[in-house]
Amino acid sequence: MMEAPSTTAARGADVSGRNAGGNAGDIAFGMLARLAGWSILLVMAGIIIVLVSGGWQAFSTFGPGFITSRAWNPISHNFGAATSIFGTLITTVVALVFAVPFAFGVAFWLVEMAPPALARVIETAVQLLAAVPSIIFGMWGFFIVVPFMAHYVEPVATRYLGHVPGIGLLFRGAPYGTGLLTGGLILAIMVTPFICSVMADVFVSIPAVLKESAFGLGATRWEVMRKVVLPWSRQAVMGGIMLGTGRALGETMAVTFVIGNSNRLGWSLFAPGNTIASLIALEFPESSAGSLKLSALLALGAILMVISFITLACSRMFLQRGIKN
Amino acid sequence: MNTVLMDNRPAQTQSAPAIAIRNLDFWYGENHALRGISLDFPTRQVTGMIGPSGCGKSTLLRILNRMYDLYPGQRAMGEVLFDGRNILSPGIDVNVLRSRIGMVFQKPTPFPMSIYDNIAFGVRLHERLSRTEMDQRVENVLRRVALWGEVKDRLNASAAALSGGQQQRLCIARTIATRPEIILLDEPTSALDPISTARIEELLDELKQEFSIAIVTHNLQQAARCADRVAFFYMGELVEVDTADKMFTAPHEKRTQDYITGRFG
Repeated sequence: MMEAPSTTAARGADVSGRNAGGNAGDIAFGMLARLAGWSILLVMAGIIIVLVSGGWQAFSTFGPGFITSRAWNPISHNFGAATSIFGTLITTVVALVFAVPFAFGVAFWLVEMAPPALARVIETAVQLLAAVPSIIFGMWGFFIVVPFMAHYVEPVATRYLGHVPGIGLLFRGAPYGTGLLTGGLILAIMVTPFICSVMADVFVSIPAVLKESAFGLGATRWEVMRKVVLPWSRQAVMGGIMLGTGRALGETMAVTFVIGNSNRLGWSLFAPGNTIASLIALEFPESSAGSLKLSALLALGAILMVISFITLACSRMFLQRGIKN
Repeated sequence: MNTVLMDNRPAQTQSAPAIAIRNLDFWYGENHALRGISLDFPTRQVTGMIGPSGCGKSTLLRILNRMYDLYPGQRAMGEVLFDGRNILSPGIDVNVLRSRIGMVFQKPTPFPMSIYDNIAFGVRLHERLSRTEMDQRVENVLRRVALWGEVKDRLNASAAALSGGQQQRLCIARTIATRPEIILLDEPTSALDPISTARIEELLDELKQEFSIAIVTHNLQQAARCADRVAFFYMGELVEVDTADKMFTAPHEKRTQDYITGRFG
């Protein structure tokens, strides 16, 4: 009877003592975690402030015309964003035109047809492809892809597609090798792993009985994919494509190597051009502090960020809807 | 087990069986899942397949339309005779086979498309019909599964909006729309409420006028109510097959007796 209360008291002291020590650690850890979380907002805000305030000089000098002007003349201090925005969008579209069917083919084969052991190897290879640094793609593109395009692809494309009404315009011009098409192709290879892994994930996640039901009616693999799997996973696939788009828009180094870096705007996909990212990468080191040129580059950065942000928002929206379904 | 093959009763000698299985063995990789199965599915009758989980009854069903083909490592040996040919032989066109031997699954599996397209999907795979013919086919099968009245005003609505019981009847409609000779049902009512279950069972009774039906069920009452003949499987073997009346009143084998009286399972 005498022991019981004292034991309780001792235990109580024990518990509060441990709590006291634990609380200090908890508080410290909580503070650090909170700091880490908030610092993300801080970094984002910092980037936006730098881009907008740095680009303000350009925006106020040229007004909305900055976006539609094709000029880029450091000597006469006349700058415009139209050419590089055009190049960014065109290379991204070219990249998607090649990457989406390619990624779909790889994902379809991985999920539906490949022997499991081989599928694992290829899946790892796809992930490794995503990990290759973009500078490597740039060098490889410059030494291998550019000459290949100049000697084989572009002359052949001109001969066979150059006279087709409408799209023929895209395939005329001198076969330099460097240009919008080559830039888009390199981008296609770079974004394929991202699109492919999202596609493979959603194709795997479709309920087996749904596929079996379609097979049970006598559908072939392709019919099952086209009529059942794709409609079922449409949203998530769109999300994956948007994810790849976001990457293609902002990719810098690889594109800078192969795009030709010329500030011109035209129909030919063979013609050299530039993208927002490649233009900034090339011109930034040659811009003096406080100059209108530097301001124009920062303004371009702000525009790229807006485009990327919209793409990412679309991607998230599609992916979320896809998951809900 | 040879008694299984001797069909002396007049009901079964009327015509050749829709499917005749002879000495069938099946493996999931190393796992020998079915051993020496020989079983007839009489034409225009309901054959019920019962047995504890893992006894191989669903596996048998998935052999009959070669569904196991989709999965590497699964293989079957023996003979499954359908329309005079062994469907296990390599020369069989499985897509045509599956249109002639339809399957309905445990859970309703409407495709992510409209009610109309759910039915038209399978038909379009094998036949070219005009718009009017397709409309007629859709209406016809929906009437047969007693769904027409409930959905005729919203054929273009998504099939996902239907109730579970309606979805399952839609799946049956979709299966009979390709005009199969045989319908395989894998526990078709296990995810449904009693009223929906009763409607499906009524439907089976009607469908057997035209189709030969094989149904796997865990529900012994359902087997007793719906099936003309019942086969009892245990540990990958066919223990016994007989008319439903005999199986549930006077089974030959002790294992059957034990199972139907609830001693295991």
